[in-house]
Amino acid sequence: MLEETVLAAPTLRGRHLCRTFGDGETQATALFDVSLDLYPGQISLLMGPSGSGKSTLLAILSGLLHPTGGQVLALGEDLWKMSDRKRERFRLKHCGFIFQGYNLFPALNARQQLEMVLRWGEGASARQARARAAEVLTLLGLGKKMHLHPAEMSGGEKQRVAIGRALIKNPNFLFCDEPTSALDWAHGEQVIELLRNASHERGATVLVVAHDARIIPYVDRVFYLEDGSMREPEAALQAARQSETPSRLPGAY
Amino acid sequence: MSYSLTTLWHDRQRFLPGVLAVAFSALLIALQCGLLLGLFSITSIPVDHTRADVWVSAPEVLSVDLGRPIQEGSAVALVAMQPEVARTEIYMQGFAYWSKPRHGGTELCMVVGSRLGDDYLGTVDFLTADLRARLMEHGTIVVDESEKDRLGITGVGDYAEISGVQARVVGLVKGVKSLAGPYVFCSLYSAADFLRLRGEVTTYVLAKCHDPSQAASLVGRLNASNTVQAFTKDEFSFRSRMHWLTKTKAGIALGYAAALGLLVGAVVTSQTLYAAVAAQMREYAVLRALGIPRWRMALSVLAQSFWVGLIGVCVALPASFALAEVADQLGVQVQLPAKLLAAAVAITMVMAIGAGLTALRSLRLVEPAMLLR
Repeated sequence: MLEETVLAAPTLRGRHLCRTFGDGETQATALFDVSLDLYPGQISLLMGPSGSGKSTLLAILSGLLHPTGGQVLALGEDLWKMSDRKRERFRLKHCGFIFQGYNLFPALNARQQLEMVLRWGEGASARQARARAAEVLTLLGLGKKMHLHPAEMSGGEKQRVAIGRALIKNPNFLFCDEPTSALDWAHGEQVIELLRNASHERGATVLVVAHDARIIPYVDRVFYLEDGSMREPEAALQAARQSETPSRLPGAY
Repeated sequence: MSYSLTTLWHDRQRFLPGVLAVAFSALLIALQCGLLLGLFSITSIPVDHTRADVWVSAPEVLSVDLGRPIQEGSAVALVAMQPEVARTEIYMQGFAYWSKPRHGGTELCMVVGSRLGDDYLGTVDFLTADLRARLMEHGTIVVDESEKDRLGITGVGDYAEISGVQARVVGLVKGVKSLAGPYVFCSLYSAADFLRLRGEVTTYVLAKCHDPSQAASLVGRLNASNTVQAFTKDEFSFRSRMHWLTKTKAGIALGYAAALGLLVGAVVTSQTLYAAVAAQMREYAVLRALGIPRWRMALSVLAQSFWVGLIGVCVALPASFALAEVADQLGVQVQLPAKLLAAAVAITMVMAIGAGLTALRSLRLVEPAMLLR
């Protein structure tokens, strides 16, 4: 699987990415000369300690945060040379996001959370949006819980709805920031499986930012970021070995 | 059900202040205007309660109670010769001084003199046949019973003087309130004395058309003569009310009160909508990250403001009718015609949507990058 996908052209390329915050004496460098390639049909994990610049890198690669230097090529287009409007349209067409908090509208049920993206984003009819939302939720195992509101769902269910919201557009890219950190491992594992399916079965380019080394066996590639710079994957392995569940690490790493 | 309406229902406690503020604004506008309409309708009572289709007066008359003498013979002849006219009749109305019989003192009163038969044009409809029969006697008058104290009388049988001419109270009516001076109803001959109209003069010539729809064309032709001024019944009623509304500056007071109500409503509604968006900032930020344009969310906030407005108005309308009924029980007339209610609803809805527009500033704070920790 890995061999096969690595041969495909990368869909997302980060080249010499830099990002600083503030200026003068208070200037802080969050990213320094980071380059990476992400491939379709692969799930990649971006690890690193707190403050290493993981979320900043994800924000830059996904078109949410402007880099101070470098280039992001998404599907061959330079993301940060696009106008704001064009980049917004690019995200609408190609990007799905999953964040740590579920960020679901409290007033809407599971189905409406998904429908909204299609109706507001693509101008889909109520009937179309309803059918697609039901289909995606059924695939995510929430077929019988579509009518529930966030307050009536467990954390795992809420995160699955959030995944559904990200997947309903069938995006080329799926960006996930700490998608399992609010969940126990049983639910976290389910979530990672779903993301793995999104990459392997739908061909999406999936980038997951996480602390949790238990995710490593489920991903195709691991990137390790420390102090704003990319380190060798061995560093990730080392970090993982120091984590709580070393027994689950794959031998390949 | 739309997402806006679903959110409104789910977070109804959050939206309640906005709904109540809108309802308060609409209620204030409707009742303030209704109260004034009720108040100034008093000035047009003689026009509204008689059967003439057209009122003919001296030129430039501002209100029915400010009529000036015109030559009876020539005016009646001019009106009667018009082809649309079926009947003409003279009518007198004007202010006069009333001398109180007990303890002295004077009061301004409004003398209304007309013919008193069953089907005359100038006979006000709340004078019963019995009262009209009693008014046939020269120098007799009928007043409203609520004005007894103001006129210094105790009831039927009392004597007073109007412009130095003796007047005897022969009856009382109910519910004919007055604004500037109490209404005094009498025959044409008594009125001519009370108003000191000497010779062949009157203040108005009333006309009945063969067909009431001819009134407007008759008015147009009479006004072209330049010797008199003519109005249809509705025009003269409206002109009389508007004259007093503007002359007393009550319209300005109304404007201030209504503007204040609207301002309070707008601020509360705007803050309610702002807080509702702020509470869902992270959810909106996810939608922004997903590429959903800001204007789509703005539309949703405006839809919420529309629903807040509509629900507020739906609360205000029955409340307005209920309070108007209470006012009526207390002897204060509040008129709520459909046009007034439609205007109050329209102004309030514009205010609510305007409040939604100002609440849109909250969407500027929505930044997807805020979701990344």
